[in-house]
Amino acid sequence: MSWLLPSALAIAGVACVALIAAHFIARDRPVAEPLPTARFVPDRRIHARTTSIALSDLLLLALRIAAVAAIGLGIAGPIIAGARGRVARIVLADRSRSVLSLDEVRDSARTAGAADIVIVFDSSARTLTGSAIDSAGKAGAIGSLSAAIAAAHGVAGSLASRADSIEIALVSPASVEEIDAATPAIRALWPGRIRVLRVRAETISAPQAGVELPRDSEDPVVAGLSLLPREIGTSVRVVRGRLSAADSVWGRENAHVLVHWPASDSAADWPKRTSIDAIGGVASASGAIVARLPRLWAVTGRAVARWADGEPAAVERSFGAGCIRDVAVIVDPASDVTLHAPFRDFSRALLAPCGGVQAFAPADSATLLALAGTGPLAPTRAFRGSADESSRFTPWLLVLGAALLLVELAVRRSSKVAA
Amino acid sequence: MAAPTPRAASYGALLDAVRGVHWPARRAVSSLLPGAHHSTLRGTSAEFTEYRLYRQGDDPRRVDWRLLARSDRAYIRLANDRAVLPTTIVLDTSASMAFPVTTREKWRLAQDLTIGLAAVAHADGDPVGVALHDPRAMVAMLPPRTRRDVVAEIARVVLSGEPGGSEPLAPIVRSLRSARLVLVTDLLGDEEDALRAARAHIVSGGEVHVAHVVAREELDPPRRTLLAADPEQGFIQRMLVESTRREYEERFASWRSDVARRWRAGGASYTEVITDEPASHAVRRIASAGER
Repeated sequence: MSWLLPSALAIAGVACVALIAAHFIARDRPVAEPLPTARFVPDRRIHARTTSIALSDLLLLALRIAAVAAIGLGIAGPIIAGARGRVARIVLADRSRSVLSLDEVRDSARTAGAADIVIVFDSSARTLTGSAIDSAGKAGAIGSLSAAIAAAHGVAGSLASRADSIEIALVSPASVEEIDAATPAIRALWPGRIRVLRVRAETISAPQAGVELPRDSEDPVVAGLSLLPREIGTSVRVVRGRLSAADSVWGRENAHVLVHWPASDSAADWPKRTSIDAIGGVASASGAIVARLPRLWAVTGRAVARWADGEPAAVERSFGAGCIRDVAVIVDPASDVTLHAPFRDFSRALLAPCGGVQAFAPADSATLLALAGTGPLAPTRAFRGSADESSRFTPWLLVLGAALLLVELAVRRSSKVAA
Repeated sequence: MAAPTPRAASYGALLDAVRGVHWPARRAVSSLLPGAHHSTLRGTSAEFTEYRLYRQGDDPRRVDWRLLARSDRAYIRLANDRAVLPTTIVLDTSASMAFPVTTREKWRLAQDLTIGLAAVAHADGDPVGVALHDPRAMVAMLPPRTRRDVVAEIARVVLSGEPGGSEPLAPIVRSLRSARLVLVTDLLGDEEDALRAARAHIVSGGEVHVAHVVAREELDPPRRTLLAADPEQGFIQRMLVESTRREYEERFASWRSDVARRWRAGGASYTEVITDEPASHAVRRIASAGER
């Protein structure tokens, strides 16, 4: 048995001791004593009380202690665990691009044991019910262990009344790209060890990698991109006009990066900005261009490049097993900015694999040990105390306390009448 | 023979303490039986008083023949007679006598006074008896006797008594014919009726002594908040606290003073006895209070 508010027990105990002390110091009407000359005492209305050190009114004392105890117990909120020693299990199933096979994830999740809650995650986490894990598909997004652990922390409170402790089974390749700067801090919030069931990570397919550029010798962007090395570890196609059906088919294939970089206003149907202006620079994760550049479109998606004021200049969208990058940066054909090194640095991030640079390599052993942690499983009491948790005994105990107080009132009145 | 009870054994010391005490009658006694008290009758005792001329009808044997021979006149030789004074001691057994509850000092003192006065009266040669209410509220009476073991008999009756109830004393006083009545009481019962009965007895030639027994705790009740209840009249319950204590003491003192005045005015001998006074000392005071 555990308590929602153990301090209420201490307060009730102190109240009971105070009650007993008060009954020991009883103040009552004096007991009549024989005095043959009582007739000579002035007959006046005098309300006198005497104090005695003796336990008095045992029935009233018992009723009062019982009432205080019942109310104290009710406020303390007893929780009787349905299965003492039971361990609840949360399975965190990785469906991100780091996973080689989702079937392997499902098998590993089953070997972890019966799951009370299943959370699938890539860059975000989602709680599944029943066998929904079987219908979950692999995502092309980067995985985030931080999101998964945070989601587990959020649902742990719902298991607090059903078990004594909670185990997290993390089914993931735990690759480098899934661990970010926040992961250690979020992991530290989980008050127990985590069982890590590692599955095989995706591998980077290099054989057909290369950058496919339009055949237009007058296009300054193509000229600038052609100066980049062609072997960049992924298949990239740069389209300077409108996307064709063939481009779409190609872009759906695994790990293909379709870069839609319109050469002119008419080459894209993206929504226009409310006010078309020019800005002095644009930057990506790999470099920045300082030049006067017009801004025509307002693109939405995962930003891979931003204008100098922070507005996305290039975004990435998942597309089948690959992705499309919309680059809303128009370069003046008369400019030579694309021929300089900053353009090449800037463009390198635009030609990177989907989701940015892929890092499927497993995290080092120290990181994995820190992730798994040591010591016992997380106790459920660490997740109690939230406002929505309550004891089913509380209302009954409070009703019992109120009933005892009523009985006490009746007994007190009857004893007064008898006196 | 049964062993004496502790109380029975203790009154032996009291008898020793009152040995030699005399209890003279307050006035001449009209009894015919010879005794230690002055009689209203003139007789032939050896205690010469005066001569009186012979009158017709006088007993010729009382004529002083030697004086007749010298003076040729017939004189009768007169002498004071001595008579006994039948004494009955009335012991109050009302509930108020069982006070304080734990020690019953009033009752014990009243028992000792009764036995001690009986012993003194018996030592003077007077018939002595006792009357009291027994536990069944019946009057237990031992008529005045002069036999040797009468004091022991009185002690037995007195020691077997038990205070309780609120039986009046006046009917007993009216029913008694002894020349000397002694009331051992706290006068908290039918005091006025008893006084009227005592006056009637005095007017008829008897004498009345009152030993007013007062407990020290009645004079000086415990100095704490006390709900005082009259043991004979349970409906009287009054709170005795510091603010009412002085008035209580004044009322009680005034009442005692009034009682003493009224009983003395009625011709009785009144003696107040406090429970912390030795019984033998109180017996001497009562006996001497009757002297003129």
